[in-house]
Amino acid sequence: MTLSTKDLSYWYENNGPLFENVNLIFEKGKMYAILGTSGSGKTTFLSLIAGLDTPKSGEILYDDKSLKKIGLREYRRKDVSIVFQAYNLLPYLSAVDNVVTAMEIAQSQQADKKAYALANLEKVGITKELAEKKVTMLSGGQQQRVAITRALCCEHDLIVADEPTGNLDEATSGEIVKLFQEIAHEQKKCIILVTHEQDVAKGCDVVYELKNQEFSQVS
Amino acid sequence: MNYIKRAIQSLWAKKGRSIIMIAVFSAILIFVLAGLTIRSGAELATTNAKKSVGATVTLSTNREAMFKQQSDSDSDDESSRPDPGSFEQTPVNLSDAKKMAKLSNVKSYSFEASTSADKSTGITPISSDSDSEEESSDEQAAGFGGQEAPGGMSQGDFQIKGVSKSSSYSDFSSGTASLVEGEAITSDDEGTNNVLIEQSLAEANDLSVGDKFKIKDTDDKDVEVTIKGIYKTSDSGDSMSARFNFMNPANTIFSSYTMVNTLTGSEGKTIDSAVYNLDDPKDMDSFVKAANKLIDTDTFSLETNDQMYQQMLQPLNNVSSFAKNIVILVAAAGVIILTLIIMLSIRERKYEIGVLLSLGESRVKVISQFFVEIFVCMIFALGIAAASGNVVGNAVGNQLLSQQTTSQNADGQEANAAGNGGPGQGGQGQAPGGGNGGPGGGGQMGSNPFTQSEEIQELNISMQPTEILSLAGIGLGISLFSIVLSSAGILRLNPKKILIS
Repeated sequence: MTLSTKDLSYWYENNGPLFENVNLIFEKGKMYAILGTSGSGKTTFLSLIAGLDTPKSGEILYDDKSLKKIGLREYRRKDVSIVFQAYNLLPYLSAVDNVVTAMEIAQSQQADKKAYALANLEKVGITKELAEKKVTMLSGGQQQRVAITRALCCEHDLIVADEPTGNLDEATSGEIVKLFQEIAHEQKKCIILVTHEQDVAKGCDVVYELKNQEFSQVS
Repeated sequence: MNYIKRAIQSLWAKKGRSIIMIAVFSAILIFVLAGLTIRSGAELATTNAKKSVGATVTLSTNREAMFKQQSDSDSDDESSRPDPGSFEQTPVNLSDAKKMAKLSNVKSYSFEASTSADKSTGITPISSDSDSEEESSDEQAAGFGGQEAPGGMSQGDFQIKGVSKSSSYSDFSSGTASLVEGEAITSDDEGTNNVLIEQSLAEANDLSVGDKFKIKDTDDKDVEVTIKGIYKTSDSGDSMSARFNFMNPANTIFSSYTMVNTLTGSEGKTIDSAVYNLDDPKDMDSFVKAANKLIDTDTFSLETNDQMYQQMLQPLNNVSSFAKNIVILVAAAGVIILTLIIMLSIRERKYEIGVLLSLGESRVKVISQFFVEIFVCMIFALGIAAASGNVVGNAVGNQLLSQQTTSQNADGQEANAAGNGGPGQGGQGQAPGGGNGGPGGGGQMGSNPFTQSEEIQELNISMQPTEILSLAGIGLGISLFSIVLSSAGILRLNPKKILIS
């Protein structure tokens, strides 16, 4: 699996470009970080590669196929999982039901989706007892783990995360980064994190910085 | 089908919202069901009313045609002047009347004939006026008829009303007259001289059931009659009855129509009129069409009367129409209310929609989830409406009918006051006309033998499975409309804007 951007540009009306002619390649088995200050456009970049928005010019290719061709909804359903800073779980569902719902939407082939979800939640430290609780009953760190498990259980090769540790304390933040590393390296997923935290970026294999409308590789 | 599961989970998780939705939907469906049940109740009552009231067709002489014929004949003969006294009515042939009675849709029929007769022995009429009674006895020597009517026409002491069944006669069916002793005149009395006399006449002559007395026929011969029953009447007569004995209601004697023929000497082959009660007013036209083929329409005419039926149906039609409007208005209001609730709910659930869209869920499935939620609420509301719709329907329906009936009665009374009684059931009540030279025409104008039946005094509203099915259909329609109208809000949503903001 490869995700690449080809002359990707984006701007808001009546404003200058956020970034122009971006050409990047992301591969599976690696964890990437996009560093940048607030308002630099890193979240907009993430929304483009997550299939939530369309570029103003240029294109994004997933396995050399344009997202336009794949279709954004189809791309989100079959190829990419998104982890948000605010977790974005369905509040009226339990942790395990959140994971199962995402698996159903992604048309996962797992025979027993609930058992698979529980097993994966267990791996990230969410016990069965916690998994049966409504997500609003869980802590921020636990909710982020549920969100990561939701992304993982959909079995997509690409996981993008927007400030996944933004709402977490330092210790929990470290655990989440470690979890992402394991997923990228052991399960051979491509993980792209958008963050403004240097500590989080340090744990990634490749770090790009978005500064002055341009991406540069810093490590 | 995971959206169905999600819908159920959402409803269960947000019980408060679900209960409000069920309550709102229940209120809408209760009113819709009330409208549906009132409407079907009114329609059922209309059908019952049709059957209970029936319709009446009267076969009698075509007076208009005969007057015209007479007038034409007089104008041909310029030398002669029209002679009002020379007009003769052609009595209805009994065999024609019986043929018509065999037509389909005839529920019952009544043959009527009338004449007047003088006293003979064993009975003295109730005197309307002492002077006229004296005159009456003087007149008897001069020939038939005890009293002299204006114009020199001679009258009898008694009015003989020949019927096929006394119970079908308008006086008895309307309750003006009622049997107090003995038995009514029935078809078994055809060919007999059995009679019913009025209570005060019986008391004045010390007569009781089984007694016999004699009256005189047109040839002044005595005819002995047997009292089969005694009736009493609440009819106090009119100004004419104060002058002529035969017009005094107490001097009315009921017999079989065959006895009237015996008295008039027509040997049982003719009657004055025949009244046919039909099963259903809607069959009236077809009956008249078929009956007209059996009679000479130049000589005889058929008068139809479904005015009472139309009058009694007016409140029901108003209620039915109002109920239809209730259904339409409540359904429209329901669509608007639910659309607004769903739109508000969509605003509140933007985040949830954004999450689902970011996971790759299609907008159609998100809309379907909302529809399933509404549908489940509708099922609960349907149950609640079905349980309470009958009560509400009965209360509202009967209140509406009561108001409509009161209004109708008030209108009717005003119309009667203005129209001097309005048209009665012409032909059913016969004044002495075709018999022994009595004053022709008349009839009981203004009296109406029908009263409003129970079905329209009170609507018997009960829910039928078809109404529940209709309600479910309307509920489904309301749900669909509300979802379609509010789905524009979902279609416009952009997951990036929702989630990243």
